[in-house]
Amino acid sequence: MHIPDGYLSPSTCALLYGTAIPFWYTAFARVKRLMNTRLVPLLAVASAFCFVIMMFNVPLPGGTTGHAVGVGAATVVLGPWASMLSVSIALLIQAVFFGDGGITTFGANSFNMAIVGSLVAHFTYRAVAGRTAVTSSRRVIAAALAGYTAINVAALLTAFELGIQPLFFKDASGAPLYAPYALHIAIPAMMLGHLTFAGLAELFVAGGVVAYLQRTNPALLGQRSAAGAKEDASPAAASGWKTTRPLWIRLALLMLLTPLGILAAGTAWGEWEAKDFSDAQMRRQITAASGQVAPPSEQPRGLARLSSLWSAPFPKYAPPFVHHPAFGYVMSAMFGCGLILGFFLFMGWMIGKRGSVDSGTSP
Amino acid sequence: MTVPIFEVRDVTYSYREVTALDGLNLTIMPGQRIVLLGANGSGKSTLLSMLDGLCFPEKGSVAFQGEPLAEDRLIGEVEFAFRRRVALVFQNPDVQLFNPTVFDEVAFGPLQLHWPKEQVRLRVSEILEQMEIGNLKDRSPHHLSTGEKKRVALASVLILDPEVLLLDEPTAALDPKSESQMIDFLVSCSGGRKTVVTATHDLDLVEDVADYCHIFRRGRIVAAGTPTEILNDHALLLNTNLVHAHRHAHAPGELHSHPHRHGHRH
Amino acid sequence: MTRAGKNSRGVVERSLASFVDALEHAFYAEELAKKNGLLQKLDPRVKIVAILPLIVIAALARRLWVIAVLFALAVAIALLSSVPLGTLARRVWLGVLTFTGFISFPALFLTPGPAISSLPLLGWTVTAQGLRAAIYLIMRAETAATFSVLLVLCTPWSNVLKALRVLRLPVVLVVVLGMTYRYIFLLLRNAHDMFTSRKSRIVGRLDGPEQRRAATASVGVLMSKTIQLSGDVYLAMRSRGFQGEVYVLDEFRTNWFDWAMLALFITVAFLAFWFGR
Repeated sequence: MHIPDGYLSPSTCALLYGTAIPFWYTAFARVKRLMNTRLVPLLAVASAFCFVIMMFNVPLPGGTTGHAVGVGAATVVLGPWASMLSVSIALLIQAVFFGDGGITTFGANSFNMAIVGSLVAHFTYRAVAGRTAVTSSRRVIAAALAGYTAINVAALLTAFELGIQPLFFKDASGAPLYAPYALHIAIPAMMLGHLTFAGLAELFVAGGVVAYLQRTNPALLGQRSAAGAKEDASPAAASGWKTTRPLWIRLALLMLLTPLGILAAGTAWGEWEAKDFSDAQMRRQITAASGQVAPPSEQPRGLARLSSLWSAPFPKYAPPFVHHPAFGYVMSAMFGCGLILGFFLFMGWMIGKRGSVDSGTSP
Repeated sequence: MTVPIFEVRDVTYSYREVTALDGLNLTIMPGQRIVLLGANGSGKSTLLSMLDGLCFPEKGSVAFQGEPLAEDRLIGEVEFAFRRRVALVFQNPDVQLFNPTVFDEVAFGPLQLHWPKEQVRLRVSEILEQMEIGNLKDRSPHHLSTGEKKRVALASVLILDPEVLLLDEPTAALDPKSESQMIDFLVSCSGGRKTVVTATHDLDLVEDVADYCHIFRRGRIVAAGTPTEILNDHALLLNTNLVHAHRHAHAPGELHSHPHRHGHRH
Repeated sequence: MTRAGKNSRGVVERSLASFVDALEHAFYAEELAKKNGLLQKLDPRVKIVAILPLIVIAALARRLWVIAVLFALAVAIALLSSVPLGTLARRVWLGVLTFTGFISFPALFLTPGPAISSLPLLGWTVTAQGLRAAIYLIMRAETAATFSVLLVLCTPWSNVLKALRVLRLPVVLVVVLGMTYRYIFLLLRNAHDMFTSRKSRIVGRLDGPEQRRAATASVGVLMSKTIQLSGDVYLAMRSRGFQGEVYVLDEFRTNWFDWAMLALFITVAFLAFWFGR
């Protein structure tokens, strides 16, 4: 999932660096406040750990092996912010020193795996684990699911970033300048491997680590800020949530609001899917490229209907450039991200609420 | 009357429900060279961290030159002053060598204490030559042998020229040659007014680096004396797991046992 | 059962191989960085400022010949810096070609455009645009990878880190990166020992779930060690006067040669940008 140099256009790279920076900044400030002077050794050693984890091969059912990113395990033990930084640092060293993943694409790789991966893992873990005891088996399942979900969301983002390249960036002859596959190929090709092998590796690592730590060192799971910070688990997580909530809400709102009404005007989804999915020749080729899994034969009707819904507010007044299909893609992507973010915000809010109710009723 | 460098009074400390120090009393005078002798897990390392102001007693008190050594006092300038005067060489050199190169490693301490950069460069080169590791200057710690790592670790604290040198198992895991080299360094740097506290279970080290010994067992000092007194007390050494009875047959059918020391000097 | 046996060795051996690879890679890099060549002579900061734009422009160029010129430039720099081309071919070019070649192969057929030839048996048609797309991807990936590998092979790692400060990276991050790199090798060694000792104990009869438990337990052990290590390292840092702020020594000095080379590199980058628009 490490995108090498040359697969993404510099503008995409710049955009993703730009998106990643506020997260890095917030994470750094958060972890620094929590860990105080312990920040430096903790980050260094945790990053080294993440790096080494990416080299572990895990046996998978069916006789193959795969290796995990370790973002699930890192998030459960270190918390989302420290995990975000550690995985990013590990990726940076991989990119610069071992040539695994590009330098221009480092922002993109960090955003997908480290930032979004950690956040998705964190919220999944908290939602599934709830307030169960540290040693309960539900925590193992929660961690496993967190790893699995995180890696798949990261893969989806990667596929999306790769998939929009041929849409925007073509040379004079129409040849794609960067990653050549459009979304309808990039997404299935990417997800097939991740929903199965890579996802399972991550699932086993995250679940296995939590199961192992429950037996040997449950203290590591009990406190969000490992390695000696004195803060107790839930307040630390909660306060982190509170301080950064405005950032999240603003981002989610922004993403949700921008494409309103513009989304459907381009009818981007309908166009490419109707055309490509019904063309028999094209379908064969997609199937071959996506590892022999046939794409759906019809365009998703739900989306088409959804887009007509959004077009209602101002169908005629939208500026002409919004009719460009590429613009529609990006808008719908922003919209999708906004939805996901909104969903996590809602979950976080629910968890927070449930937590306070719990502590309110307990003596 | 001289004020003791360290005064440890009734100190108790436990680590994850295991008692490491149990009502410990100890006084260390300036310029004294003492050895804390004890088997693994007898509490020596904990005491050294405590003398270095890295952990603090649960009960009892530790005083440094008459001033209490407590967590809330050891901050800012007070801490800087203390760090300049007291230095600890950790048992595991991998923990202590966290910089990318040997040069950076030795320069770390002085830089944190705000020495001028020119002076740092000069002193680092000097101390590396003195410890005969000048050729390792640009090497990464992971390419060094254990003996070299230990020497770099020692250099990284000696550069600060501390008054008190705390050494945790300085000869552990060394091959015989590096061990004798290490002992030579320790003897040469412990001369003069330096106070040296060495924690070890290596009896061979005792006579070279100590004027006085304290024997540890389960977080307490169970005996004390000059190296000669202690090393000749076989019953005591056997009892504190510092030697073990080594059985072997001298003649057919005759089984004989006597205390046996491990360790090699060449 | 044989499969399980083979498999258990496979996992251990593959992990071991990747650890050893990483260690060797690092060792080799340190050796090359000591040689006397063009890049080795340059101030690390100049190297970063000179080579980064070339990587970006290799990604930016919209003309194949410009990317090809940049690639040729990278090869020339490698030769001038006594980096053996054989090594470069084995370590970079072949790897990138295999990976990116595999990725871009279907693009030959999938990209819409006029057909220029077709595969004998399957009858799939290769389009001109598809061919161009594949060449773009491979050339870009090769060029960027060659530049970044050259930068790292010809500079001691600790200097790469310190030089990153010209990119306005905070000191604390530079220090964290240095320590991360240092402890990667300690943990790799740990993991390596763990696997070798396991290998000596396994006779070859572990079923899937057992193997998995063993593998994830290894990760767990490593994680516990990691946390312990970070606590110990903190104490070691504090013992030497660390109070949260770090101070580092950077002793780089530039001379006329550095500036001349920097000017040359920037000019090339600008020209490549201009012609590659």
